[in-house]
Amino acid sequence: MNGLLLTTQQALQLLLSGDAELWSIVMLSFSVSLKAILITTPFALLVAFALNHGNFPGRRIILAFFNSLLSVPTVVIGLFLYVMLTRQGPFGDLRLLFTQSAMVIGQMILCFPLLVALGYAAIQASDRRVWETSRTLGAPTWFTILTVFYEVRFGLLAAVLTGFGRIISEVGISMMVGGNIMGYTRNITTAIALETSKGEFAQGIALGIVLLALAFLLTALLSYLQGSKELTA
Amino acid sequence: MNEPLFIFRGIEKSFAENEILRKVDLSLYPAKCILLSGKNGSGKTTLLKIVAGLEKPDGAEIEYAGKTNSWKKAIRSIRKEIIYLHQQPFLFSGNVESNVAYGLRFTSLNRKQRRESVIKALEWSRLSDLAKIQANSLSGGVQQRVAFTRAWILKPKVLLLDEPMSNMDQESREQAFFLLCRMKSAGMSIVITSHVPQYFDGLADVQFHLSNGKLVQSELSACNDSP
Repeated sequence: MNGLLLTTQQALQLLLSGDAELWSIVMLSFSVSLKAILITTPFALLVAFALNHGNFPGRRIILAFFNSLLSVPTVVIGLFLYVMLTRQGPFGDLRLLFTQSAMVIGQMILCFPLLVALGYAAIQASDRRVWETSRTLGAPTWFTILTVFYEVRFGLLAAVLTGFGRIISEVGISMMVGGNIMGYTRNITTAIALETSKGEFAQGIALGIVLLALAFLLTALLSYLQGSKELTA
Repeated sequence: MNEPLFIFRGIEKSFAENEILRKVDLSLYPAKCILLSGKNGSGKTTLLKIVAGLEKPDGAEIEYAGKTNSWKKAIRSIRKEIIYLHQQPFLFSGNVESNVAYGLRFTSLNRKQRRESVIKALEWSRLSDLAKIQANSLSGGVQQRVAFTRAWILKPKVLLLDEPMSNMDQESREQAFFLLCRMKSAGMSIVITSHVPQYFDGLADVQFHLSNGKLVQSELSACNDSP
């Protein structure tokens, strides 16, 4: 028990002292995951919108497909991407394996179905009159889509925050296609795994505290958004 | 009677096996008001949405400017001239002013002209005092007046109203009636669906009853343009 307290104390000291190595890992994690979520969000929300408002064959099957992708383990996505990006793979010439770009692509694959599913639920909750009112007032299709997104903005923002929380805390993809290279592809979760395997818990716990703080922050934001949604309903 | 603005011919619509509209014809004239009655589920709303271009018919043709085209081809050109208002209007997040200004951004007016138009429109509907109020916080009757103003500011040729007075008290009904009369006097063609035709005595020129997918016509009295 004393050992755990001591290690936690060391972890807090590491965090508060502004340890360069530790904070570079944190920054890299945020950089990779922010890029992934920012690139994925517009496409995922458009797909969610099309599934909601479109009237084309196979719509329900596509939605079921995205829902089933929610439960795919991250290591499976990592393995799939590894096979694609390895020298012998179809995209081997791009030399992306063990780069931050590979991690971004992997995290995009991970959060895309989640954003589609949650975005679909948020848009489905919107009133059909939003679309009809906007169209009858002369708005072009693209502006009407933006209007619908604006009217369900709290639900969509909650979806994005959930997606961000999912990808910044994943380890399988980052480990397999990032390679855990110090200063280049080592992020919070792969660093925790490495430090723990070495028996050096202080840095692992410090990084764990950062993830926990992020989790609390995201949950608080989601609760706030939920409250705002109820107030404006 | 003037030349019709638009003539919709042979409107057909089915949901599953249920034939809602059977070769319905509808002519829309400037400064004329049509009252549409019928039971719940008779297809009144569907008919209005097809005319507004919000619902696709199984078959229909539109005659305008001396030409007859299929609904699909013609509706692209005329949908900006036709505005549909829901039974319970949807007001976007934001204040009354921003709601009234919504459709103006798709016109050729510049920012200053849009602003002037909004001020005039709010004065027209006597909503100036509520300009900065959140639209969704208003009562049902006032929301309907905001929706009327939002439509009127775009100067459409045709206004389609689905049960516009169903959730209004007496005072709101009188105010709405006054605005509708002014719209009609300005030359707009108005189509109203209602279960209570008496609300529109003096406004409606013609009444159609929709039953078994067909329209049956009867004449009404002229409009009295006063509050």
